[in-house]
Amino acid sequence: MKDAFIKSNFWIGLLAFSVAFPIFVVGSSWLLPGSELWSHFAQTLLPELVTSTFILLVGVGVGVSILGTVLAYLVVMVEFPGRSWLEWALFLPFGIPAYVLAFVYLGVFDYSGYAQVWLREYLGIPGFDIRSGHWAIILTFILVFYPYVYMMARASFKRQKIQMIEAGKMLGAKPIRVFWKISVPLARPAIAAGLLVTLMETLADFGVVSLFNYSTFTTAIYSAWGDFRSIEVAAQLASLLVLVSFFLIYFERKARGKAKYYSSDVSHLKAYYAKGLVGWIIFFFVFGVFMLSFAMPLLQILIWSSEVFSIEWSKRYFNYFSSSGILTFLATALTVTVATILALPSRRKSNSKTLQILIRFSTLGYALPGSVMAVGLLYGVQNISSISIYFGGSSINHILFGSVVLLLFAYVSRFLAIAYNSSSASSEQIKPVYEHSARLLGASRWRLIKEVYFPMMLPGILAGGLLVAVDVMKELPATYLLRPFGWDTLAIRVFELSSEGLYERAAIPALMMVIFGAIIMLLFNKLDSEKY
Amino acid sequence: MLRVNNLKISFDDNHVLDGFNLQLESGDIFALLGDSGSGKSSALRFIAGLENAQLGSVALDGNNLSDGGSHSVKPELREVGMVFQDYALFPHMTVFQNISFGISHLSKKEKITKVQSLLDLISLEGIEKKYPHQLSGGEQQRVSLARSLATSPKLLLLDEPFSSLDKSNRDQLVREVRDILKKAGVTSILVTHDEAEANTFADKIGKIEKKQLLIS
Repeated sequence: MKDAFIKSNFWIGLLAFSVAFPIFVVGSSWLLPGSELWSHFAQTLLPELVTSTFILLVGVGVGVSILGTVLAYLVVMVEFPGRSWLEWALFLPFGIPAYVLAFVYLGVFDYSGYAQVWLREYLGIPGFDIRSGHWAIILTFILVFYPYVYMMARASFKRQKIQMIEAGKMLGAKPIRVFWKISVPLARPAIAAGLLVTLMETLADFGVVSLFNYSTFTTAIYSAWGDFRSIEVAAQLASLLVLVSFFLIYFERKARGKAKYYSSDVSHLKAYYAKGLVGWIIFFFVFGVFMLSFAMPLLQILIWSSEVFSIEWSKRYFNYFSSSGILTFLATALTVTVATILALPSRRKSNSKTLQILIRFSTLGYALPGSVMAVGLLYGVQNISSISIYFGGSSINHILFGSVVLLLFAYVSRFLAIAYNSSSASSEQIKPVYEHSARLLGASRWRLIKEVYFPMMLPGILAGGLLVAVDVMKELPATYLLRPFGWDTLAIRVFELSSEGLYERAAIPALMMVIFGAIIMLLFNKLDSEKY
Repeated sequence: MLRVNNLKISFDDNHVLDGFNLQLESGDIFALLGDSGSGKSSALRFIAGLENAQLGSVALDGNNLSDGGSHSVKPELREVGMVFQDYALFPHMTVFQNISFGISHLSKKEKITKVQSLLDLISLEGIEKKYPHQLSGGEQQRVSLARSLATSPKLLLLDEPFSSLDKSNRDQLVREVRDILKKAGVTSILVTHDEAEANTFADKIGKIEKKQLLIS
């Protein structure tokens, strides 16, 4: 029995190791002798990179935590006009790729965009560069990423016992005090988890920072690889990024603490009823966020699409759409399968430290920009080929380079964390007693997984799968570097057009992505609401 | 016949059981009493093959199941059934699916007949299609018992199965379960900390004192 267990642990470990492969490749770059290019980078660019990345993280982090938490609190705890539809509408921005929101705002607020033209002509305000400084890009990120905190905080608020808030009220606490002293501290672990994902996404972003000409680690990595052709420096910069992610994960663990605060009861009672003027003020605030983050950008995309439809639309779009669809489907299926295997409850009791660390590593890809993931994979494959040739074998380059396999590998490594977190959350709720009773009833390990674990984990697996699907569809840099010939996706088309300033034409592929994303988010929301 | 010899269990250098011996004849209904932390549940879980011990052997009807504190036969092959404190009914399966889980090798028709007869035994006919959350605590516990009996185990272990029920339902259910087990003729061990419950339930009672089992 023990042998079988060790054997299965070995395969699971190998699986986790494979997924973490690009990360190990990136980390091993430090074993290479230092190059002049690196010292050049370190002396001239690094301080600026660190500062601008830090400002971006702090700005986005603070903004997203506040906005996401306040919105979640309002829709869960307060009854106000329009609350029930806004509660799910606030999820929709998830389906909009960050770079789509960025190009829409750039298109509107750029020097030649109609907002600035209007300001200049009617109010005489001189032109300004929306790309300079930090605030515009920070605001863009906040509008795209607040749903991460919103989603987590909302789930946590829903599980808070109404009696606790009522006790607070009976003790004379005003709503603001109840919010700060009771609800927020109780939801802290959830807020921290949402914040972690946001910061990782911000670190890994390539599209928005390039469109805004903002230099971060990602753009530096891209430039080390693209401009200087130095895979080593790219990998070294990337490993610093991995280090930052480690810190973020550590702080999130600390914030989460050991306490399990919330009960699993979900109450549908509201703590507060906002009537009259206050209710409408809340409505306009929440509605405003929805407008800025989803409705207005969508409207703008629709307007642009209709304006340039006859110029831009062609049969090629069927190819873009099918490439996006096929890649999304395959990558999601693979990622979810790997995540489920890693998250099975039987892993818990193994307590093998090595395995736990490998699984941690395999989920770190979330903080790696897609470009690094791609570079790591290419570099790794090249090294394996060299080793193979050294021992008299043949190169595997021609099989893997430019193949769908490598691209799918990159997606799985990059997005495993999302699927893993979701399925392991549902796996953690499966008490050991189910395993014991199934085994005492004579169930084999396979039957235990198939008939007990899998159905019980299914909601978490599906939810994770939907989130992965949205992310794969939006993914840009890894797709850009690794896509096989003839596999241009919608995301690639958006980026190609918008980086040339052709915002109106980019609206057409963007619209297709937004619709696809919104459908997935509606499915996710349906799944999510069945839990409560 | 069940034989447990020289069982020794300790947690972090703290011995809870040392020299625990138990012998039961077929059809015996035995209650194992002990304070919380006395090791009674651990002994039960060792017999089930779910936990290891420092030392000890288990033999059932002449077959060695465990020796030297570790298990030679996996839990799923022991022909030992267990009823848990919080029932452990699979929440995503109906009552029918739960009860027939252990008899998946039977044909559909045989399964239906078996489940019917078990539901008849626990006096809960007509609930096959219900899900566990639609049942009361007492009903869930009876279904859990039926599920364990479906595989016709040689030995049935009951780990404080009545403790999450309220007092008024408990006494009646204890008697009912005893009658069901007598009818089925299955050797059973009940773990409890309630002396009155043990008296109502069992033919033989043992108590863990000073790390050993004293049979009264």
